[in-house]
Amino acid sequence: MEGRQKWAMTVDVDRCIGCQACVIACQSENNIPISDEPLFNQRRAMEWIRIERYWEGEFPDVKARFIPIFCQHCDDAPCEPVCPVYATYHNSEGLNVQVYNRCIGSRLCVNNCPYQVRYFNFWEPEWPESLQNQLNPDVTVRSRGIMEKCTFCIQRIRRTGREAKRDGRKVEDGDRGLNPACVNACPTDTLVFGDVMDPDSRVSKLKEKEMSEDGRGYHLLGSLGTGPNVIYLKKVDEHASGPTHA
Amino acid sequence: MLKGDAELYRPKKKHVVLFGLIGLIGLAVMAGVVALGVFVVTAWFGLPVFGFSEGPDQPIAFPHTVHVNEVGLDCTFCHRTVTEEAPASIPAVGLCMTCHQAVGSGIEGVETLRDFAETGRALNWVRVHRVPDHVQFVHEAHIRAFSGSKKIVEALRDRETEIRLDEARRIDVDAAVGETIEVAGSQVCAICHGDVASMPKVKQVRPLKMADCVNCHRDNNAPTDCTTCHY
Repeated sequence: MEGRQKWAMTVDVDRCIGCQACVIACQSENNIPISDEPLFNQRRAMEWIRIERYWEGEFPDVKARFIPIFCQHCDDAPCEPVCPVYATYHNSEGLNVQVYNRCIGSRLCVNNCPYQVRYFNFWEPEWPESLQNQLNPDVTVRSRGIMEKCTFCIQRIRRTGREAKRDGRKVEDGDRGLNPACVNACPTDTLVFGDVMDPDSRVSKLKEKEMSEDGRGYHLLGSLGTGPNVIYLKKVDEHASGPTHA
Repeated sequence: MLKGDAELYRPKKKHVVLFGLIGLIGLAVMAGVVALGVFVVTAWFGLPVFGFSEGPDQPIAFPHTVHVNEVGLDCTFCHRTVTEEAPASIPAVGLCMTCHQAVGSGIEGVETLRDFAETGRALNWVRVHRVPDHVQFVHEAHIRAFSGSKKIVEALRDRETEIRLDEARRIDVDAAVGETIEVAGSQVCAICHGDVASMPKVKQVRPLKMADCVNCHRDNNAPTDCTTCHY
């Protein structure tokens, strides 16, 4: 089973309504400390997935544009070669992973990431008393001084893989246990997660269709050549201007 | 005696005692430092050579010897989720009470247990085997990998049908290369936890440090990708 999968996600920007459900789902799934306003002002807030909001047009024709941004799991990830301790590397499943116990907190990776999706623990994480028992036992609580980022919910991938092996079945595409928390939480089906090595999976079909000549697919900052495993699908909007026009 | 002659220095008795005392304290401190060093270094690489290598005292002196050897309970009878889930799980007081409602009257530990059951309190067992928070250990996968009909070999090639002599010896001391053994789920426990059945007080027998895990994974063709355990 090892090495025969490659995880990828598609983000249909046309469907995103900017509801932030994915952000909250990610936060509770991955034991991310709560970021309040002062942290955002200091640019030290942590959200493995964030919704960037843009305003387009002049009043009264103002349109809000949303785009969820998280680790792109690049095939040629700029963060990887700069790590002095090999704490971030590519595993056999095409995931860009962060090994917390190896990280020494040099923060070179965050400087080299063009998507700004790596987060540094400037403080020991704290949760209010009422949330102490909601921490996910399958995810390490990162301590002060180490880097963290979206893992494509590798704990869920591992768990479904193990449970499938135990019960002697195959991991199904679109299994809610396999999907990352953000995908499960998305009310509009914006995010689709799956294995691109499986030609029948929803994500590989979408990739094939949308990355063709007349498809809507594009890579975030594609010109950098980082080879992301996340495919964004353009907005279909007659009022949209510029490159978002479908 | 002429003025300027070399004079033998004769320390006062008070000074002799003082210096002797300082020397002895110094020696004791040095011995302490060496002992601490040995403890730290051995604890770093494996189990400490002295201190903390015996198991901790438990709220009830639970004898595995009685339950496993004399009563003949299977490990999975109490550690119920071990073949299904990541944690092995410690039985709740209620599970103990299925038997101890009837048996064991008069034994101190059992009376304490009944007291706990009546008042609805949970027993705070002291954890013996603990891996750090950044390690995700899954009991189920290990039991699945080691149990079944296995051929004993020196160097393992097929994880499904073979077992290394080292591991086979931990299950059955008379194991020899070339034999085939049937490994039941609850026999696998002995590979890491030792012969718990004959331990009056459970203690850790393997270092369970990363080197220990990785060496075993390498020898058994198990994945050694970091994200196998760390995420």
